[in-house]
Amino acid sequence: MAILELAGVSAGYGPVRVLHDVNLSVNPGERLGLVGLNGHGKTTLLSAIVGLTGWQDGSIIFEGRQIGGRRTHGMGRTTPNIVRQGIALAPQGDAIFPGLTVRENLDSGAYTRATWRSRRSRCDHVLDVFAPLRPLLRQTAGTLSGGERRMVSVGRALMADARLYLVDEPSLGLAPKISLGLVAALCEINIGDGAMIIAEQNLPLLNGRVDRVLGMHAGELKQDVGEALGDIPPAAEAMAQGMHHGRAL
Amino acid sequence: MDVVFSALLLASMYGLVAIGISFTWASIGMLNLAQGFIFTAGGYTAFLFAEIASTYGLEGVALSVGLIVAGMLGSAVAGLAVGAVAFLPLQDRDNFRTRSLIATLAISLIGTQVWLIFFGPQNKPLPPIFGTGRTEIAGSGIGNGQLGAIVVAVLMLGAVILWMRSSRAGLQMRAMMMNPLGAAVVGVSVRTTGMRVLAISGALTGLASVLLAQTFFVSPTSGVQPLTVGLIISLAGGLGSIPGTVAAAGLLGLAEALTARYLQQSLVPFVLFGIVVLILIFRPRGLGGLLEDVRE
Repeated sequence: MAILELAGVSAGYGPVRVLHDVNLSVNPGERLGLVGLNGHGKTTLLSAIVGLTGWQDGSIIFEGRQIGGRRTHGMGRTTPNIVRQGIALAPQGDAIFPGLTVRENLDSGAYTRATWRSRRSRCDHVLDVFAPLRPLLRQTAGTLSGGERRMVSVGRALMADARLYLVDEPSLGLAPKISLGLVAALCEINIGDGAMIIAEQNLPLLNGRVDRVLGMHAGELKQDVGEALGDIPPAAEAMAQGMHHGRAL
Repeated sequence: MDVVFSALLLASMYGLVAIGISFTWASIGMLNLAQGFIFTAGGYTAFLFAEIASTYGLEGVALSVGLIVAGMLGSAVAGLAVGAVAFLPLQDRDNFRTRSLIATLAISLIGTQVWLIFFGPQNKPLPPIFGTGRTEIAGSGIGNGQLGAIVVAVLMLGAVILWMRSSRAGLQMRAMMMNPLGAAVVGVSVRTTGMRVLAISGALTGLASVLLAQTFFVSPTSGVQPLTVGLIISLAGGLGSIPGTVAAAGLLGLAEALTARYLQQSLVPFVLFGIVVLILIFRPRGLGGLLEDVRE
């Protein structure tokens, strides 16, 4: 049985419809890459799974439980509940807590009562993956560099005892070498029979590291990745395209 | 020395109210104009408790502790009531900040009338919590009521700040103040945590209400002054910054004490607002911007 099953999911913000009837099935133990240009709905898809869109419609079944449904307002109202059922999101823009230390930021990821007790050992695991954070534990997160912030954001998601990890654009805004290291680390984490979805603009970063890649174009899922990227994969083209489509959604 | 005591008393009372306003603003984005109503709610709860206690002949330490607890509970409940009206139904609507501002203003105005109807316009005294004697410190005397108020307020503020820094619930609240999206993503419910913040802010305000009633009285409008000064202190401290708010409370308390002593009591509002305007001209983020070096 699929760990996550989306059927006819549409979502958007106010009058804007970003997702059009998305159907998606993610299997246990699967690492799924989601590629597409800026503004084509990758972030909105991940946001819809945790209820962080302006409005949404359609069925989202996570481990046999319905977490979607029709909703016209109340952005984020269901999010804490969904997160506690075992979905961890590392959102775009990191959303770290600038005034807290790196350790407190990571601890906040293990916020649920059950994981809070084991936060020290979970933190150790995260630091094994993101070793550069180890000497920075007592530093205030607001003083970190972009790459370090991204590690804190992704690390915070990994602190949760989740069955499904959603990582939004791990490479965005990072130097190529750093983003390669980050994505490689993400793809080596043992997810057991859970699952992970990585949204990413840079297809070569994912190639050969994930189990399956799906494309996203104009709010619809495409089996053919080339179509989603418009056959113009170089990063510069992608950036220009992204700016043409306006703000990232 | 009296000026120092008077400054400390004002600073600690204003600090309690201002921290509540500051927490509420930073965590749920609601400028709580009903804080004055919450303040009087605590005062009247303590007054009712004193009435009941006197019929049972309760006195001594039990009465003192009971008064403080009753005041804090009354204000915490009032805080939750304000949340139920002005926060929960409006929280995810457009323009929440403006709507909740108007809603809390309405609660504040209606609340004053409700107190007038139930308790009348007379000032209500509370029995002394810390005895009626005076204590000599460094050559000048201070009433036990004032000294006790300063000590209890500082201890309570310290305890709350420590709890915010070390506990899981405190971590949630601080996280929500810094980044509501991040908080939602790690499973912190804005609604539950918001109500918790309102209850704690209320309790701190209620403590200030009971302690200040040691020097002044409880009356339907006794919440106006603490609300006004609490608001300008939380602004001067940089809304949401705990060290900034404490520093601003100290500064404005001292300014008020000095003005009242060496100039004129009637000049106090001019001096306080003048200082706040100056701070905000040169430091738009308030004193908190000086004390915390974090980029957003």
